[in-house]
Amino acid sequence: MLSLLKVEWMKVKNYRTFWILLAITVVSIPGISYMLYDIMDNSFPKSKGATMILGSPFAFPDVWQTVTWNSSLLFIIPALLIITLTTNEFTFKTHRQNVIDGWSRQQFISVKLFEIVLLSVLCTIIVLLTVLGFGYFGNKVQAGISVLQNSRFILFYFVEMMTYSMIAFLLSILIKRAGLSIGIFLIYMLVEQIAVGFLRVKLKFQGANYLPEEVADRLIPFPYAKALLARDTPQWEHLIPSLLIVAFLYLMLYGGFTARRFLKSDL
Amino acid sequence: MSSILSIQSVTKSYGPVRALHQVSFDVPPGSVFGVLGPNGSGKTTLLGIVMDVLKANSGSYSWFGEPPSEKQRRQIGTLLETPNFYHYLSGEKNLQVAAAIKGRGQDDIPRVLQMVKLSDRKASKFNTYSLGMKQRLAIASALLGNPSVLVFDEPTNGLDPVGIAQIRELIRDLSKEGKTIILASHLLDEVEKVCTHVAILQKGQLLMAGDVNEVLTNEDFVELGTEGGSLEQLRSALASLTGVRHLKEQEGHLQLFFENGSIPLSEINRHCFQQGVVLNHLQLRKKSLESKFMELTK
Repeated sequence: MLSLLKVEWMKVKNYRTFWILLAITVVSIPGISYMLYDIMDNSFPKSKGATMILGSPFAFPDVWQTVTWNSSLLFIIPALLIITLTTNEFTFKTHRQNVIDGWSRQQFISVKLFEIVLLSVLCTIIVLLTVLGFGYFGNKVQAGISVLQNSRFILFYFVEMMTYSMIAFLLSILIKRAGLSIGIFLIYMLVEQIAVGFLRVKLKFQGANYLPEEVADRLIPFPYAKALLARDTPQWEHLIPSLLIVAFLYLMLYGGFTARRFLKSDL
Repeated sequence: MSSILSIQSVTKSYGPVRALHQVSFDVPPGSVFGVLGPNGSGKTTLLGIVMDVLKANSGSYSWFGEPPSEKQRRQIGTLLETPNFYHYLSGEKNLQVAAAIKGRGQDDIPRVLQMVKLSDRKASKFNTYSLGMKQRLAIASALLGNPSVLVFDEPTNGLDPVGIAQIRELIRDLSKEGKTIILASHLLDEVEKVCTHVAILQKGQLLMAGDVNEVLTNEDFVELGTEGGSLEQLRSALASLTGVRHLKEQEGHLQLFFENGSIPLSEINRHCFQQGVVLNHLQLRKKSLESKFMELTK
């Protein structure tokens, strides 16, 4: 795998678009949290009552949920990176050339999947650093509060990031064109949100929780004004194992389907 | 090892379109093997299958007498259809990617760039190259690591006449080094000048395959002309010559075809002279691959 990654590195290290999208990904994760922190800090009066309602979303232990949720608004950026890098291979027909030159189809698809895992790990590390930054430097750690309480949200973020990334990868392999893949990725995000709203709110159909993106989105609930919106917390706790299992099954499905497609079809 | 590449009953369809049907042939070691056919005859499809970028519906193939694998492809230099490179990388960096995939060192890159005369433009991005330069970079990539087998699909596409002559010369030189070269082309004179073996495809069917001399066997003919241009007199003189299959008039000359092989020119000349006909033109001609091809594919 190391030699395969070395080749992938040779492909991207001189590719300006790769560095721009990666830089935006890396900067936007702490950036969006800082922006929302700034809004919270400046927009609401610092009274005791306000703090009771709004909570302290950027202090331990809530900061885990807040920063991971904020960062989950940005999945489109790494998705763009994945779609660009994957569809480039089809546009330039270099996926064929890589195989002709001596990679097996399995090696080609494996290294692409591994890159997605690496990108997800990178984003998760940046989220972790952002959490620690806000937790330690943005707020005083209150006595008696465990810093690691709620740290499971980092795992949930990784699962959600992998879910969106794999959907982007699946679309790239199926569609092979950057513009169309990005368009369908965005439209699907929107359509699923509308479908979830309709099915869950109007029809009271809880199966909507298990739609491909929603199942990962549900892992990190809305973190602000918890005092007002925390009614669903016990139910959410109860759902976590099933959400994780279904999200994992989806990931297996996406991985299996993309690999099968690339291994069996004409390139 | 009896053959470098052995293709057995390969069939490939794109929906209702049958691109290849039960194609079988062997490529012997050290040969320059021409895969010929008009546009759409299945040449590129066939090469795509043996390089594992296309999947055959049925049939099999083997490289070096073994089932196909990526390790074998690393030992083969291939230019298939179009030059496929990363547009944002320079020619040299693209070759570095190819060399890394092939498991070869980077030290061969200057040599292959020199061979295709791209050393001066090695640092330029691929998307700034002309069509001919892209094609030459693809040939350089195929030559990386000095492989013993080369697969060239329309290697002279986009090249100017000088470039075409250079590639023809390169193929001849590589052949002299004992390399096996599989060359797909619809430019028959190009193939005829370099190939030792040919396979002729039409609409996915293999019409003929084998040694060029065997494919073109019994196809020599003699062209005759006579002083004064009386072809009728010449025709009657030749009627009594034994071993003649038929005569054909062509642009003021008679073409003499034989039942087996050919008759020595001296004997024909003597015979005509004895019959009172003085020849002013007597030439042994080989049937061109082009005319054989046209005959097979009409």
